[in-house]
Formats: sequence, C-alpha cells, structure tokens
Amino acid sequence: MSDTVRLTMPKEDAYYGVAHLVVGGLASRLEFTYEHLEDLQLALDGVLANGKYIEGETVTIELRVRPDGVELRAGPVAETLRVDLEREVSEDEGVGLGRLLDTVAEEVGVEAVDETSWLRLEKRLPGKTVTSA
Amino acid sequence: MSAAPERTDRELLRRYHKSGDIEARERLIEQYLPLVRSLARRYSYRGEQLEDLVQVGCIGLIKAIDRFDVDRGVELTTYATPNIIGEIKRHFRDKGWSVRVPRGLQELNVKLSRLIEELTVQLERSPTIPELAKAAGVEEEEVLEALETGQAYATLSLSAPSGGGDESDLDPLESLGTEEHEYEISENRAVLAPGLRVLDERERRILHLRFFEGLTQSQIAQQVGISQMHVSRLIRRSLEKIRAQIATDEDAT
Repeated sequence: MSDTVRLTMPKEDAYYGVAHLVVGGLASRLEFTYEHLEDLQLALDGVLANGKYIEGETVTIELRVRPDGVELRAGPVAETLRVDLEREVSEDEGVGLGRLLDTVAEEVGVEAVDETSWLRLEKRLPGKTVTSA
Repeated sequence: MSAAPERTDRELLRRYHKSGDIEARERLIEQYLPLVRSLARRYSYRGEQLEDLVQVGCIGLIKAIDRFDVDRGVELTTYATPNIIGEIKRHFRDKGWSVRVPRGLQELNVKLSRLIEELTVQLERSPTIPELAKAAGVEEEEVLEALETGQAYATLSLSAPSGGGDESDLDPLESLGTEEHEYEISENRAVLAPGLRVLDERERRILHLRFFEGLTQSQIAQQVGISQMHVSRLIRRSLEKIRAQIATDEDAT
C-alpha cells in the first residue's frame, strides 16, 4: 500500500499555510526538486483560493505517494468544478483554475467518491522512482 | 442587498452630504461593517489580525462615504468595495515584509534564491530541498520555512508596482529583470480574459510563458533575465491579483 498523508482543516484562509507546509514536508522527504514543489504548491493554492468549489465547512487534502510521483486529492468539491475545468481549458479563458492545474499537473480530473466529488491531480516526477517508507 | 436598505442608504447619504448629519454617517458605517468584515477576512491569512484589517477597511469605507456623489446613480456598495480593498492593500504595501518576517529568514530566503540559481546550473536541473539545505548549511525545515517566507512576500507586496520603490533591501532580485523583450501581448486573446487586465506587461508575459507556452520557471527566468524565485513571486502575485480582481468584479455585480 502506498504512503498517504491526509489533512482535514477548516475552510479558512488562516489554515492554508498548514497545508503548504505539509506539501513542503512531503516534497522534502521525497526529494522533489524546487520546481516540482512549486508546481504542487501552486496547484494547492489554486484549489484553496477557489473556495466556492469546496463544499462544506472543512476541506481535506490527501497526498498519495506513487512510484512515479504524487497524487493529490482535494474535496469534497462541487460537481460544477468538473464542467468549469473542462470549459476553461478548452476555451482558453485566461489563467483560471483549469489552466493553472492543466499546466502544473500531468492529470487533472474530478472523481466521484461515496456520492461526493473530489478534485484529483497527478504530479509525475520524470526520471525518478519514488518509494514508500 | 434588498431594495429597502438601498433606499435607506440613499436617504442617509443625502442627510449626511446635504445637511451634514453626522448621525446618518455613523449609521451608514454601522450598516456597512459586515461588508468591511467580509472583505477583510480575505486578507486575514497574511499575518495580520482580522480586527486590525477591519479597522483599516473602515477607513476605506469612511473615505467612500465622504467622497460619495449622491447625484450619481451608483450604489454605495459598488463604490465602497474597491475603496475598502484599496485601503487594506495599501496597509500591506506600506508595512512591507520586514516588520513581521524575522530577519534571519529573510536573509536565508535571499541566500536560497542565489543557491537555486547556482545549483540549477551545476546540477542541470532544479535542486531538491535536501540539496538546498546542505548547500545553505541549514535544516530542511528551515529551507521550507524560508521559501514560505518568500511566498508571504509575494502576497504582501500584492499592490506594489513591479520593480517599484518599496522593495526590501534584502530582496535585491526584485529590482532586476526590467529588460523587455519583443512581445506583442495584445495578440494573445487569452491575456485579455477577465482579471488579466490588472496585470502589467511583464506579469502578463510571464503568465503567458508559464501557462500558455508551458515553459518552466527556470526557463522563464533565463528568458526574462531574473531569478527563478523572482519568477515564482511574480507568478503568485499575478494569480493573486487576478483572483482579487475577479472577486471584486463579482462583488460589484
């Protein structure tokens, strides 16, 4: 089973720095490069800054270590996020969440988990094999 | 806001502006406190107490009430929102980062910026956090904290003009990169999208290179002639500006 770090926090700006440090800590342990860490944190910032897509009073960030990189899940999110992400990237609508995630991650999507929707993205690390503890 | 309070607003504004009724002004301030609080909350994660930001935002509200032209067809909410946000942003800009980020972390941040450049050349790839920690002679946690500090600077300097005059003396890189390349930004329709109009030419160019050309931060740094960390700050600051502008637009409608 792959290593997983999960953080649930109030949907409030004051807590977002905590998520940043968690991503940083994981990146450090997995020896991500500075640029890969930047990509992951930009993705995280993008998700958290678009609070309108996050459903409920809390947000959960889950980071799963994979052999070829990291998988990030955030949610639960509004189902409308799926449509907005697709529309934004295809229509070239400036630099919104869709364009941002599409640039910094290799795979981006919204998946259903127990009747809720979750944003899921994959950050792959070329030429690197990440191992679990 | 419902039609009834709007009518009340206009009555109160008339009473204050036409008859100098101070009580009407105070009632308006009270009525709009929730708006100030809501806007201040957006900025409260940047190291400032919410109540302090509410106080700062109130100054913007009072200025808006005092300057409001009752004969124009604009609603007070529409007029006050940018005034309140402007006052809060000015507050951050005036304070800069030197008052709240420990000097040691600022210095480490500047040192890391230089090391990232050096190690990227040396390793022919971006360095890892452990590599940066080793080169800087500090713990990995300190590296992460110092990098986080740089991001705080990016958001705190949100309203500062790029390459403007309020940079910390510990951030010399901020004043680099004024070299302009040939770039016809107006031909790119993506940069004309909502929110992007608040960016200056260099910010638009860097976002274009990152999000439409797919260049990495180090490639952009090379092309624009600034450090990777500076590129990172400009990207974060630009995205934050866009989000703030879109939020302001949404509030106004």
